[in-house]
Amino acid sequence: MQNSNDVEVGVDIGGTFTDVVCRLPDGRLRAVKLPTTHADPSRAVGQALTHLAEVWQVPAARIAHFSHGTTLATNAVLERKGARIGLITTEGFRDVLEIGRQFRRSPYELEPAAEAPTFLIPGALRKEVRERVSRTGEIVVPLNEDAVLARARELVAEGAEAIAICFVFSFMNPAHELRARALIHEAFPAMLTSISYEVDPAFREYERTCITAFDAYVKPILDRYLTGMEDDLRKCGVGGPLLVMLSRGGKCSARIARQRPVRLFLSGPAAGVIGGCAVGNAAVIGDLITFDMGGTSCDVALVVGGKLMVSAEGEIGGFPVRVPLIDVHTIGAGGGSIAWIDGAGTLRVGPRSAGSEPGPVCYGRGGTEPTVTDASLVLGYLDPENFAGGSMRLDPAAARQAVAEKIARPLGLSVEEAARGIHRVVNAQMAEAVRSVSVYRGADPRRATLLPLGGAGPLHAVAVAAELQIERVLVPPRPGVLSACGLLVAPVEHERSAAFLRALDGLALADVDRVLETLDAECMTLMAAEAVDRDAIQVLHFADMCYVGQSYHLEVPFADKHEADPLARLYADFCTLHDRVYGHAMKGPANIVNLRAVHRAQGLPDFGRSEESAMKAASVRHRMIVPVAAGAPVQATIYDRWALRRGDSLDGPAIVEQSDTTTIVAGGWRATVDASGNLMIEVKHG
Amino acid sequence: MSGNDNAAGVASTVVDPFTIEIVRYKLEGIANEMCTTMLRSAFSSIVKEGRDASASLFTPQGDALAQSSSIPIHLATLIPAVGQILKTYPLHTMQQGDVYILNDPYCGGTHLPDIAAAVPVFHRGRIIAIGATMVHHQDVGGMTAGSVPPNATEIFQEGIRIPPVRLMEAGRPNETLVAMLRQNVRVPDMFMGDLNAQIAAGNLCARRLRDVVESCGDNLLAAIYGELLTRSETLTRQALGRLPQGTFRHVDFLDNDGIELDRRVRIEVAVTIRDNAIHFDLSGTDAQLRGPFNCVPSGIHAAGYYTVRALTGSQIPTNAGCFRPVSLHLPKHTLVNPEEPAPVNSRTATVIRVAGTMIHAIAKAAPERVPAAASGELLVMAFGGNGYDDKRIVVGDMIAGGGGASARRDGVDSLDCYTSNSMNLSAEALELEAPLRAHRFALRPDSGGPGKFRGGLGVLREYEVLEGEISLTHRGERHYTGAPGLAGGHCGAMAHSLIRRRGGGTETIPSKIVTSLHKGDRLVVETAGGGGHGDPRQRDRVATVQDVRNGKVTAAAAREIYGITANGGSAE
Repeated sequence: MQNSNDVEVGVDIGGTFTDVVCRLPDGRLRAVKLPTTHADPSRAVGQALTHLAEVWQVPAARIAHFSHGTTLATNAVLERKGARIGLITTEGFRDVLEIGRQFRRSPYELEPAAEAPTFLIPGALRKEVRERVSRTGEIVVPLNEDAVLARARELVAEGAEAIAICFVFSFMNPAHELRARALIHEAFPAMLTSISYEVDPAFREYERTCITAFDAYVKPILDRYLTGMEDDLRKCGVGGPLLVMLSRGGKCSARIARQRPVRLFLSGPAAGVIGGCAVGNAAVIGDLITFDMGGTSCDVALVVGGKLMVSAEGEIGGFPVRVPLIDVHTIGAGGGSIAWIDGAGTLRVGPRSAGSEPGPVCYGRGGTEPTVTDASLVLGYLDPENFAGGSMRLDPAAARQAVAEKIARPLGLSVEEAARGIHRVVNAQMAEAVRSVSVYRGADPRRATLLPLGGAGPLHAVAVAAELQIERVLVPPRPGVLSACGLLVAPVEHERSAAFLRALDGLALADVDRVLETLDAECMTLMAAEAVDRDAIQVLHFADMCYVGQSYHLEVPFADKHEADPLARLYADFCTLHDRVYGHAMKGPANIVNLRAVHRAQGLPDFGRSEESAMKAASVRHRMIVPVAAGAPVQATIYDRWALRRGDSLDGPAIVEQSDTTTIVAGGWRATVDASGNLMIEVKHG
Repeated sequence: MSGNDNAAGVASTVVDPFTIEIVRYKLEGIANEMCTTMLRSAFSSIVKEGRDASASLFTPQGDALAQSSSIPIHLATLIPAVGQILKTYPLHTMQQGDVYILNDPYCGGTHLPDIAAAVPVFHRGRIIAIGATMVHHQDVGGMTAGSVPPNATEIFQEGIRIPPVRLMEAGRPNETLVAMLRQNVRVPDMFMGDLNAQIAAGNLCARRLRDVVESCGDNLLAAIYGELLTRSETLTRQALGRLPQGTFRHVDFLDNDGIELDRRVRIEVAVTIRDNAIHFDLSGTDAQLRGPFNCVPSGIHAAGYYTVRALTGSQIPTNAGCFRPVSLHLPKHTLVNPEEPAPVNSRTATVIRVAGTMIHAIAKAAPERVPAAASGELLVMAFGGNGYDDKRIVVGDMIAGGGGASARRDGVDSLDCYTSNSMNLSAEALELEAPLRAHRFALRPDSGGPGKFRGGLGVLREYEVLEGEISLTHRGERHYTGAPGLAGGHCGAMAHSLIRRRGGGTETIPSKIVTSLHKGDRLVVETAGGGGHGDPRQRDRVATVQDVRNGKVTAAAAREIYGITANGGSAE
């Protein structure tokens, strides 16, 4: 897909900043953080193109691919700003969406909130039609076509912008769903639809109805947004296609993505993990824990043997979303987490956050409660004059006063002791999160390398590593824009799956191959619409599998086609994977639940070398800081990241500053700049 | 977090307030990791799929320090179990590598399938903590597979009884005991697999706790334990002080004991909140039952602990300090303090009802703060028979009712409640396993207790037998009394279940039944709604019109109960 004269651009639009990165044909990487205009996120694209043309002298016409990560789908759900939509179900099942699974996330909550996403479609907009398919796919009640049209007409009259359709056992026989959609399109050509057979052809009607409803809920918004962005890019003279990041870790053209927009959920964190994985692979480090700390939350993910972990489902705003996604665990601890003292005089940090508005006290935007970032300032970790590349001035006196009044004075401690306490508590929270993510997936954190990203990650990484007895921390050249870099290296990918509920015992390989061939044909059609080199397409097949009687499943890749007995190999691989993920395996009978084809075209696997490396003259300064590990202030050496050269090494206590983050190297640790420009920080032995 | 609380609450201490919070995270992390270890290494589907397992850390004195985030009833019942083990085996008799177990309800347990295991954690020759786990074992013998016979009349029919015993001594298994256990359960390998998972969790606890001790020293650790307990106690007492003061009563009923189907079972609670403490008196509760709905005191303590945790706020770290201000009076020979050998296997329903009764007694005195009663029902059904491949199958389904309304909002529809937390079965999963067809999975209109804020709706499910004969075990509740409303709000609708025979007859199920269904028979179950809050005539008109449009309230009920016509006009 690469042409040597092409420029690759990645744009990640977040709540506070829009990150823009660009890989030039000679392999240089350029990056900038621009403030996001809240009212209209798509304006950020215009801003990015202006920056490209005017500051970096890259005209729009030279852009080969414009890769975009958007939180629009996620935010529409979190802020309940999706479209007004309707649902049509099998007679007797319209309430499935609201009944949910009846499980409470917080069992001690006196006034529990609803666990099912009823807000998507209230009862008045959920309609039923007579039809029924059996568990084997046999039609036992024919579709009442008049009822489909009548119900659709009612929904149109109610102002529905999109209609979701979910029939019982449609994954065994989609005829009724397909027919219902055709009838609706014939009568209402402009109506957007989502049918469960296409969104998520897998069993369990609640989860399938949910994800189909989510798809319809964000479809009109994403449709307008992506269409608008494509128009803007074309008007600005961008010749290459708009690619969007998907939750599974691939990207595809916006035109196809907006047909199944639910695949855009949680793609933001995915890009960061992809970026981290690429950094690790370039540095030949297989086992990583990525640690993405921002203002309000911290995303932790595991990379094992250079491979990302894909999970069959995740959640968004507490609701289950059954889409394949990169397995990222989020905890509510970030730079904006608020420190407070409970009724028994214990220091607590979070779960409340000052977020980006008003933000920490030191931002001077009206925040009054001390946060983790305020504590960082008190401890001397941040340079108030040079935060975010000097684009924002911090107010150290205000931070100090807030920590003094709200924490230090009530506890009878010095301001520095209080600030150190805030860091110790939040580091312990994050360490437990990292530990639980790795232990739950069968990995020993002590053998992994911690890879921090996000603005606040490198500030806490060494302290968190020390808590976990992790001995290596790898800080990429631009941790603050690593998500945008991930957009550049993510492969172009299409994925199709089908329910295939069969016991592995006695299964004929031909039956499996027949389904995979159909899925391959669908993927090929999709890939043909992408601007990729056909020969570069890698074809992967997977089976979702479980032991008989289990209710969860694992995605198992099919080994090489030339394997003598592919199904025996599949079973053996399933047992090995089960042992790694769940800590045990047995020789019991197994089932296949779904089959899946993934077609992937990998571009350049790394995002190039940082533009700024060794651009500045070495200028070593010193500052007093209070280390989190011990109370007495020490003199730390302050380095400018872009004054460091490959092979340079430095001993803690030290601080490395750059516009997108601040890295702390604690005493007893040594940092070395590796060949790719990463900062490898290791425990000094002896 | 108000200024006043702060001034009263700051405890003098030798430990800095950060280390306390950090060690708390570590202890909770250890409890959760113990639980993960069990789930990952267990054999039975009830543990791996149903997640019916919990872990806690205790001080050497038997005070609960930290808990995994699991099933409320388990965590509270580990407290008396560890207490009983420490009573039988004092600390000075314990050795490194020991493992102790028990399940006998009359000796520290609550019902036989739940087996507690405790491991002393040694550091430099001293015990620094006890790691404990509770697992619901799939089968512990007795008169029926699964060891929860609804028709048991004495505990000997319910499975093997294990008093506090040493399963391992200094790392060596007690072969005699293991041989006895294996001989008395239906699937010995699965049983031992799950027990070994409990031991693995204990070992993990020992290893990780030693790391914590190395980083802060054992004297400091003991001081931190004391602080953690004191601080949770302080926060709980402060919260109790903010609840209404005095004695509050409530009476509620279980449908029957599974043996005498026409006799309602009375639960009476008097809650006294005074001097930053809380006391539950269950005098007036019925004498012990013939059927298995009795519950030993530790199970009722679990209901009391649940009530206190729910009423005092989720921000208080859960440990034994929360329970220091709690006391109970459970009269002897009643169903809440039965005499051996009364059967107890169905105590789950009793614990749910007792917790609901306790909370409702307080709700009546604080209707602005505490919601009306949730359905208090979890319908438990089992379908048995021949599956599609002629294999024997047993498929379980557990269906909840509606939540209670509060002074701020309507109750949540279809949500499990109080000490229970289960998942229902999907229609497609059911049909793939059993020769049944699901015709309706729907919310029950008008089942939410009417009120200014409406109770949550119960659920209606209709099943048809497609072939052969299916045995049905149906254990319902709330078939004869509704979940009470609050502050003028009405009761939620009662549960109702019936069988429509293919030949035309209709049979109403008297809450509990074991029966057979045949091809063409239909089973229709309806679970109870939650209680309403406030006078329904004061309900926001728009909310009622929406309810009618959304199918939650019928037009007739809107007119008769809420006084509103379907288009929002006044019905009078």
